[in-house]
Parts: sequence; C-alpha cells; structure tokens
Amino acid sequence: MKKTILAASLASALFAQTQAANAETIGVSMALFDDNFLTVLRNGMIEQAEAMPGVDIQVEDAQNDVARQLDQIKNFAASGVDAIIVNPVDTSATEAMTKAAQEAGIPLVYVNRQPINVDSLPDNQAFVASNEIESGTLETFEICKNLRAAGKGDGARAYVMMGELSNQAAVQRTKDIEDILATDMCNFIEVIDKQTAMWSRDRAQDLMTNWLSSGEPFDAVIANNDEMAIGAIQAMKAAGIDMASVEVGGVDATQDALMAMANGELDVTVFQNAAGQGAGALGAALKLAKGEDVAQKVYIPFELVTPANLSSYFSKN
Amino acid sequence: MAEMAHGTGGQKHDPNKRHLPNELNILAALILMVAVFELLGALLMGQSFLFDSSDRFDSIFNEARLKIIILQVSITGIIAIGATQIIIMGGIDLSPGSVVGVTAMVAMSFAQVAEVNGFPNPKGVFGPELQDLSVFVPIAIGLIVGAIAGFLNGFFVAVAKIPPFIATLGMMVAARGAAKWWSKGQPISFPTDEYAWIGDGMNPVIWFACLAVLFHCILKYTLYGNYTYAIGSNEDAARMSGINVGRHKILVYTIGGLLAAFAAIILSSKNLTAQAGMGVMYELDAIAMAVIGGVSLAGGRGSIVGTVLGALIFGVIISGFTFLRLDAYYQEIVKGGIIIGAVVLDQWRQRRAASRR
Repeated sequence: MKKTILAASLASALFAQTQAANAETIGVSMALFDDNFLTVLRNGMIEQAEAMPGVDIQVEDAQNDVARQLDQIKNFAASGVDAIIVNPVDTSATEAMTKAAQEAGIPLVYVNRQPINVDSLPDNQAFVASNEIESGTLETFEICKNLRAAGKGDGARAYVMMGELSNQAAVQRTKDIEDILATDMCNFIEVIDKQTAMWSRDRAQDLMTNWLSSGEPFDAVIANNDEMAIGAIQAMKAAGIDMASVEVGGVDATQDALMAMANGELDVTVFQNAAGQGAGALGAALKLAKGEDVAQKVYIPFELVTPANLSSYFSKN
Repeated sequence: MAEMAHGTGGQKHDPNKRHLPNELNILAALILMVAVFELLGALLMGQSFLFDSSDRFDSIFNEARLKIIILQVSITGIIAIGATQIIIMGGIDLSPGSVVGVTAMVAMSFAQVAEVNGFPNPKGVFGPELQDLSVFVPIAIGLIVGAIAGFLNGFFVAVAKIPPFIATLGMMVAARGAAKWWSKGQPISFPTDEYAWIGDGMNPVIWFACLAVLFHCILKYTLYGNYTYAIGSNEDAARMSGINVGRHKILVYTIGGLLAAFAAIILSSKNLTAQAGMGVMYELDAIAMAVIGGVSLAGGRGSIVGTVLGALIFGVIISGFTFLRLDAYYQEIVKGGIIIGAVVLDQWRQRRAASRR
C-alpha cells in the first residue's frame, strides 16, 4: 500500500488526489534536541502537524552525529514515510542524505541549515531556511548606526564573539560582521579581538571577563547569537560597567534576550522565524509528497529587533 | 590502616623515600606556565599577565585576571573534587556532565519567579503555585536528583559489578536524555533573586574553596578517606581487612553525584538559566584536572590539593590564551598535550618510586 502511494505521489497529481484520503507520514531528523532555537522550530512543526488531520509526524534526534542522522534517514526510507525533513548536523555531509532519499524515491526537505549541495538538489528535494547573510549584516549595521548616533563615528572599538567554529552560521555571521566593518560607513569600528564562546552563555561570561581583565577600552560587543550576548552582558554587569555606554548585539531574539533588551542591556538582536521555518518545511514536504512543485529554495526573512519594535516580538520564539 | 593510605599501586608507602611531595611538582608546573605567559605577554602584548601593568588596581596584581582564572574553573573544579575521590578509589565517573544538565533543569524549574517585568514568567515550567518558592526547595530537589544519579552509579558498580566505565557511561547517556526530556528541550530561565545569589559574582569560587577544604580534611583525617585510599590501593586487601567495600563505593559515587548537583545549582544560578546542553564535557575537564593534579588513574594515589592546582593550571591556560589573543584551537591542542604529559610523568614517577624500593 505504502509503495503504491509513493509511486502515485511521484507519478501524477491525479493519483495524489486519492492519496490525500490516507495519512501522510513525515519523518523528521533534527540535528539536536537541546538547542533552544531548533526546539522552537521542532515544536512549531509538531504543533502544526498535529493540527492537520491525516498528517503523522515522527521526530528523531540525531544528537549532533552525522552518521546517526544518515541512519535515521535510511530507517525512514525503509519504513516508507511519504516525505523526510532533515535539519542537517553537518551541512557538508548532505550529499549522502540526498542520495539515500533519492534512491528510495522519497521527497526530502532540508530545514534551517543550508546543505552544501543546495544548487544541485533533485526535483523532489527542497531547502527552507532564512538567508544567513541577512542576520549578521542586520545586527552589525544597526550597531554601527547606533555607535555613530552616539557620536563615536571617529573611532570605536569592538569585541566579536563567535559561535562554534565548525558551524556554517558562525562562519557566515562572522563574515557578515567583517564585511560590514569594511564598508566606508562602518570602517571606523576596530575589532580588538574575536574569539569563540561556543554559542554558550557560560563560555561567553568567562570570555568577556577575560577580555575585561586586560582593561582595554571598548564600545561594542558583537555576538553571533543571543546566548553569548547575554553572557557578555552578565560579565559586564558583574564588573560594574554601565550598559548604556556599550552597544551589545546578538542574533535569535530569544525570550531571555528580549527581556535583556527590555532592561536596556541588549541593544540589537535579529529575529529568525523558527516556527516559520518549521511550518515552511512541513508545507514543502507535504506538497512534495503529493507530487506538487515547490520552490527549491524557500527563504524566510530575518527581522531586526531593537527597543523600538521590541514589544511585537514577545510572543514569538 | 593509616599506613595503607597514600600507598602506591598496592605497595606500602614510605614517606622517607619520596624526595618531594607530588603537589610541589604541580605547583612548579603552574608557576612555570604563568612565567611563560608573563614572558610572551611582555614580548607580544607589552602587558603583564598577572601584574597590574597599567595601574588600574590598588594592589600590584591585575585583580580582574586573578579572579577570572579561578572563577572559570570553580564549577568544573567542584566536579573534579568528586572525580578525585572516585579515581583515588580506583573508579571512574563519566556521568557528572550529564548529571549537571539534568540537575540544572530540575532545580531551576523550582526556582523560577512568577513575574518578569510585569509579565507572567515566559519560561515557566510549572504554574504560579510552584513559583517564587523558597531557595531551599530547588537546592534540596537538585541535590536529591544528583544523589540518586550517584547512588545508581555506585549501585551498578558495587552490587551489579558492572565496570565503572560502562555503568557511568550509561548514566551519562541516560541523564542527558532526562535533561532534554524534562522540558522538551526548552531552556528554563528567570530564577528568584535568592537563587541567583548562589552563583553571583565570586560566590562560585567561595563554594569551590569551602568544598575543597572540607574534602581535603575528610580525605586526610577521617576513616572515609582511609577507606577510599585503601580500596584504590588494593581492593582485596581492603576487603580482607574488614572494610565494607561495596557500601563504601556506593557512598563515594553518591558524593560524586551530590557534588555534580551542587555544581549544577551554582552553574544555573551563575548563568540565570538552565539548558539541557549544560555541562557537556565537564566530566572530562574534571578528570583531566585530577590527572594533571597527580591523581593516579590506577587508584590509591592523589589529593584534593593536587586537583585544585590542576584546576588552576586549566584556568591559567584559558586566560593566558585569551590574554595573548590566540585562537581557541591552540588552547585545546595545548590542553590535550598537558593531559598526556601529566599521565606520562605520573607513570614515570611510579616506575621510579617502585625501583627505589
């Protein structure tokens, strides 16, 4: 039965009509469960699937292990799911996943992290995420504007906190920062040092305190995510620094970050619509399962969050 | 009994044959490392590593750097106090990092405030009736979680006779799963002011120092300490001399779990949040601190003083590399090299001690 459904879904939209009466099974392999952002994405996907009659969703945790993730995809294929959604552990290891799904004739949707083979995906595979180039750019440009507005346009100094260095988002966001700081408008900002704090609040606290111990004057801390920005804020507060005199930026617009912004500590963050990505991936997977066409790259835009528009983000993420 | 304490590999220890206490070597290594960073700092940065070269502090030292060197290793240091005892007893515990994760999650969910900036707590795990509780509730519940995990480790090692590596590996995986399951992976934030005080400022260092002194005395001057060294030196001999080995093992693993839980409470308080991924790899850092501090993986030998020095070496490396603005890659490579070096040195010392007899 499953096989006929599969054949039908790939063959024609006509057959897909009959299939709609049956339950669609979607297999999901998440890179890891204990990441805040990915949890919002995952829960968004699950909630939406549960609200749809006739959609079954099965979510697995790849525990940040590339090999485990590939096994999960093969297991999904073996149990005959109608479509697979993958949040890749390692964006450079997606070739094998694409191949495994292709051989089984099952549609595949990558979500949140851009696979290395994004430009050569077969017809029944797609990619749903936000364009990573936007996040670091929006963040850094806003900090640059704020520093100028504060009258520091003739020279400012910044620390940069990077995420895990093996992660594409960390590399891209750091590059965005550097690109913005190379522009004529923002090249007054000098980077004192850039180091990784592994996306973690605890590591960021320690790193910031280490930086503070050198006594270098600085005007801004630009972090690759909110957790690290909050860690930096906590360290600066502990050292008695007036948070109004320092620009701090992060990415993600987590609840904790929004609270820090409401307290006047965090100045800039960027909202990445996790639930929107989850919903987009699920929608694309269901369409592909029915044999319909979808755009191969679906971008959910990033949104800049500042104290001015803060209130409209409290209920999101 | 007392003679058996501090024995080497089951052989009787004669203090007269040892030239220098082990801890002095480690202290020398620590000072050497600081000297290297001082030298590189003077050459490359034009700044002093530990001294106040730009007159920012009242004393001659760069107080901010001295503080962070200890602060950043205090929490893993507390776990290392437990690891030290377990390794001296001839065991190993791979679970504390995951126990930190689950304990932080559970404790923090009982430490939340009801209102944040006038809104209901956006990360509330329970309803308002379980928010704004006394700080003793999350502490007690957290310690119970850690004690249960430690007790189970000890039970599987001592009663079910599963090798400690495997038993605690199982706990490492299971406790991490429990940490993720507790709130379905959601972070738990916004604790009460009292809970936030526990890990505020330099408080983690104070807890670390108190626990280090406490367990130093316990290991050195009590029957508990004697039993721990005796079992690690020669388990059969310890059993024949009337020690209830099984019961003592359960006790030591339970204390290890309690210390991990205490570290979790301080960590979640310091960060004002609990996350399922907290504490990953902490067990390895803790074991490394103990090993660098001269605790022998063969059991029977080591001390809390050594482990504290090992922790300080870690702190100096982290701060030193940030001071020199070198990338984290090098830091990890050097850390790994030092761990291997410490074990090589330990084995060489053991062979030399054995041949001198």
